[in-house]
Amino acid sequence: MSEGSKVSAGGGKKRYAMVVDTRRCIGCMACQVACKAEYDTPLGVNRTWVPYKVVGKYPNVKKQFLPRLCNHCEDPPCVRNCPVEATFVVEDGGFVLQRYERCIGCRSCMAACPYNARFMLPSHRTYTPITNVVDKCTFCFHRVTQNLVPACVQTCIGRSRVFGDLNDPNSEVSYLVAKNATQVLRPEEGTKPHVFYIGADRNTTEFGRDAYKKVDVMEPERAAFKKHFKL
Amino acid sequence: MGDYVWFHDVSWHASYAVYFFVIGILAGLSFISYGSWRTPALRPLREKTAYASFVLLALGGLLLIADLSQPLRFLNILNPAYLNFTSPLAWGALNIVAFSIASIAYILALRKGDEKNGKLLALITALLALGLPIYTGFDLTVHQSRPVWNTPIMPVLFVALAIASGSAVGALLAAGNTEAQKVLREYMLWSAAAVAVMLVSIMGTTNYGGSASELTFMIMTTGTMGLLFIGVGFLGGSVAPAVMLFAPMGKSQSIVLVSALLILAGSAALRYVLLMAPQQLQTLY
Repeated sequence: MSEGSKVSAGGGKKRYAMVVDTRRCIGCMACQVACKAEYDTPLGVNRTWVPYKVVGKYPNVKKQFLPRLCNHCEDPPCVRNCPVEATFVVEDGGFVLQRYERCIGCRSCMAACPYNARFMLPSHRTYTPITNVVDKCTFCFHRVTQNLVPACVQTCIGRSRVFGDLNDPNSEVSYLVAKNATQVLRPEEGTKPHVFYIGADRNTTEFGRDAYKKVDVMEPERAAFKKHFKL
Repeated sequence: MGDYVWFHDVSWHASYAVYFFVIGILAGLSFISYGSWRTPALRPLREKTAYASFVLLALGGLLLIADLSQPLRFLNILNPAYLNFTSPLAWGALNIVAFSIASIAYILALRKGDEKNGKLLALITALLALGLPIYTGFDLTVHQSRPVWNTPIMPVLFVALAIASGSAVGALLAAGNTEAQKVLREYMLWSAAAVAVMLVSIMGTTNYGGSASELTFMIMTTGTMGLLFIGVGFLGGSVAPAVMLFAPMGKSQSIVLVSALLILAGSAALRYVLLMAPQQLQTLY
């Protein structure tokens, strides 16, 4: 990732953010696929993912989607914890990025991230030599510096994901954050995330008591996951 | 039913717990080696503990490097241009290097029979050894989103575990030497009791914490984790040895040796549970 790429053409610094309007998310997972295609993210790991919970009682049931990605925090614990400054914040734009060539693979950043946004790349990949280091969502830094929006935003069919500069009062994200009640994930951690949710349900954003009661049907899936993806 | 969750992997695996265990023992052995300059009863252990500590340092260092997914880049952590002093790992790396240098100098002084410098180097080595369990404790403490880890007691607990497990290995090395074992019995007794008290405090604060803490408490105290934490770590590895050593028959050599083995098994189990259990809940988030 080039640190030298300019984000702001002039004037003040930018602070990019994403607004995820969960009311508009239909759970098509196109964002997840677009991200996979953009980065050739290996099997078993994701830069963005869309978990859901089925809530309500039959026949009044619905799926609560919560698209997830790196929150590009203002005060990122991963940056504080990296012993070799392999992860850093781009001051102009607020991107939290990774220096692959410097990462030693100690996984300290993974342990520090409250959002599970980081993952270890496997040792073998087909199209890129970037292996055995920690990876994460970059807010599509390479696209944004070319005046494009992130791949997940570009592909979002319901316009659930909106991306822009929070410091620009005329941007759509500024408008959405100003005019709607928004939530961030795990605000108690003090990380000041820059992914804002509209209409996120507490069933999906908080640890519910049912987290301990593992759903039986999930166990074979978890076992298969562990067997096939030795990450 | 039918919920879709993405399965995340734990960040640190069991090999890190083995490293914590090894580094605790070597720190404890360094304390004993320095103690031998102040307590004559420990004199026969001076060289043995210094050598054992160094061997364990080499083993621990190799474990730590092998645990990196880019082992050959371990030198990055010693590169002044890269070092990030907000990370306890960076301080830990410097601590390990300083300890290695002091440890080698100390062993050389012991081999030369240099009493004057030996005592000073023993003190420096012991002080640097104290930093090892403290830094490993901070390794966990700084992770603000993890229940149990993010408590100020972790570095103190790791120091107590280092004293307990180091004294236990010392007691095994001193088998047959009743004078040395008498001193080490005291170390084991009070450090095991301190560990037990701290575990009660951890369980209390975790059980009465927020939902993530409470769920972590449930993970730590039930199933296999519960058996290891409550059974092997708390009851078997701290309460039982503390009671046995405190009892009137606690001064007998067999009780000291059995307690030493229990403490070692308990401190290994505690390191494993304290590392792994607080990571489990996060895998579901």
